[in-house]
Amino acid sequence: MTDAAPVLIPAVLAVPLGAALLSVLMPSPRAVDRLNLASAALTAAIALVLAAIALVAAPDVAAKGSWYVLDTAAGVFLALIAVVGFASAAISPLHLRHAGRSWFTARRSHAWYYAAFNLFWAVLLALPLASNLALAWLLIEATTAASALLVAFSGRRSALEAGWKYVVLTTLGLAVALLGILVLYVAAGSAGSGLGRLDWLALVQRGEGLPAQATLVAFVLILVGLASKIGWAPVHNWLPDAHSEAPPPVSAMLSAALLPTVLLIAWRAKLSLEPALGTGAVRELFIGFGLASLLVAIPFLWRPLPWKRLLAYSSLEHMGILALGVGFGTPLAIAGVLVHLAGHGLAKALGFYTAIPLLRQDPSAGERAPRGIARASAPTATAMSVSLFSLCGLPPSPLFVSELMILLGGMDAGLIAISSIAAVLLALGFLGLAHALLEGLLGAGRGSRPRPSGAARAIGVLAGAVALALIALTVAAYALPGSEVVAALTGGGA
Amino acid sequence: MSDPAIAVLVGLGFGVMLVRRRSHATLLVAMQALLLGLAALSLAGERPAGFLVAAAILLTRAAALPALLAFTRRRTPEPYLVAPATTVLARLLVAAVVALLAVASIPPLGFGDVAAEHGAVALLSLGIAIVVMRRPAILQVLGILVAENGIYLLAISVPGGLPFAIELGALFDLVLVVTVAAAFTRKIHAEVGTGDTDLLRGLRD
Repeated sequence: MTDAAPVLIPAVLAVPLGAALLSVLMPSPRAVDRLNLASAALTAAIALVLAAIALVAAPDVAAKGSWYVLDTAAGVFLALIAVVGFASAAISPLHLRHAGRSWFTARRSHAWYYAAFNLFWAVLLALPLASNLALAWLLIEATTAASALLVAFSGRRSALEAGWKYVVLTTLGLAVALLGILVLYVAAGSAGSGLGRLDWLALVQRGEGLPAQATLVAFVLILVGLASKIGWAPVHNWLPDAHSEAPPPVSAMLSAALLPTVLLIAWRAKLSLEPALGTGAVRELFIGFGLASLLVAIPFLWRPLPWKRLLAYSSLEHMGILALGVGFGTPLAIAGVLVHLAGHGLAKALGFYTAIPLLRQDPSAGERAPRGIARASAPTATAMSVSLFSLCGLPPSPLFVSELMILLGGMDAGLIAISSIAAVLLALGFLGLAHALLEGLLGAGRGSRPRPSGAARAIGVLAGAVALALIALTVAAYALPGSEVVAALTGGGA
Repeated sequence: MSDPAIAVLVGLGFGVMLVRRRSHATLLVAMQALLLGLAALSLAGERPAGFLVAAAILLTRAAALPALLAFTRRRTPEPYLVAPATTVLARLLVAAVVALLAVASIPPLGFGDVAAEHGAVALLSLGIAIVVMRRPAILQVLGILVAENGIYLLAISVPGGLPFAIELGALFDLVLVVTVAAAFTRKIHAEVGTGDTDLLRGLRD
């Protein structure tokens, strides 16, 4: 099976790129919807096969080429991006059918939406496969261009503001990261030639040979730069706006796939440079970003925010939790990170998809917190419940298990005070989200009870499937600590 | 690159922070890119491939991107000059303090050319300051370009040069981002009637 990887890797990028091109040429919105669904199914299938190849080979690297590496980490993230990407592509027609005005003319809006969506997805799929820090940076920068147009797709003033902020802030952040990459390139000196000097593996092998001070400066610059794209506080300003203004399927891609995948690059940089820097400073930086993100996010989870904006601040919280897990770095914490990535991806994507029927039933939900949804639409209320109860970490959500693993992993690492602070913050976040959900479901509603729409019924069915997947993930989580997958991600495999 | 040339680059960066007209600021950034491009060409020396890459970068950064921004400016006429948020003196002071603090706080980066390191860090911080302090959308794009010019100054100072894949990849990304930003500038102008980003402040919690 491993032999198929060199063919499948170009294919997994070529299919969405081809779909992007063909989308622009399609004659009608319906035709482009169908093309998109077919290409999304094919892309996701190839990506999942690649993920399976990588995970079966764990802890070894399944395949390596001049620019790519199919290792365990790539496998985990390919699976995540494939599932979220396919679900977002499949649900997009539901959004586009009633999307109203857009940046583009009504006749061409579907075509340009899918062109940008597929470009974004292709670059995102390439990102975990990149075997090299410089290439990873180039791909991250490319995601900005493709996804910014999607963020501002509605063409509304607020969407333009969100898209503009996203372009400007993340580009500046990535310029800082590029400065760090140049410093690292010079510091790596004779470790490999040309581009190979920044290969993840070459950096690990150079290990203690890298000059400590220059490498530390490089790492700090790279991490601070990437933080602006991951959305870690205090450089998160674009995140709530972009997530709340983008079309719901795109918000799901941003939150459940883009942010964690950029975090993977930070994680790979950590694993590659830790031999040169030691654990201390590297760990402290991740933990600092993690705690800052939790501290900034929690007060907003207590406020009555519009649904998508609440989910955006929840993304900030969850990126903070992941930063803590990667920072702790113990096998238990890393097992927690893996469960958290998958659980957050599923629950958050469902949450954003729920915005489609929610906004159709009550357009004012884009401006203020939803209320009384249980009386207005049972399928929408079910989807909201599955999403938010999972995100707040209520058992049997896999996020309860993952957060527990991460906190215990922190204690394992001897960081008892930090783990305790994080536990208190997580408890506050839980209460805030649970309160928001109860108000949203049971609070006094606005207006009369509308007839459940097709979108609501579809989201209701999806909520059932996601609930089952989340429970399966909770069960699987117990088998993860001590597995080959975790061993690969705590060593030099990632 | 010589110390006086680096000083001129930083001076041009300050100019972008200070001038009122978008056309003047675009010209200053184009001059910055031209200086950097000529330096890269001279450093490429006898490597034909290196010369070609440097020439492509020079043409793109010093001609194509400023031309795109000039075109965008012509398509987004301002009914009146967007009033700066602060006085020239305040902007000059803030820019100087930001650049000096950034240069003072960054330890040696290991390039063996202290002037280039300081110049790059100063331009990067100036670019960020321009984005924060200037209101017109095009001036904010120019702030990004000033920051990117700082990175390019450091890139051409790498002993032995950078791999072409990184140089061309970064150039491609820059073109993509500036093109998208230019599209946003036009759309913002069409929606708001001006490129003044201060009017885009509806998203607050």
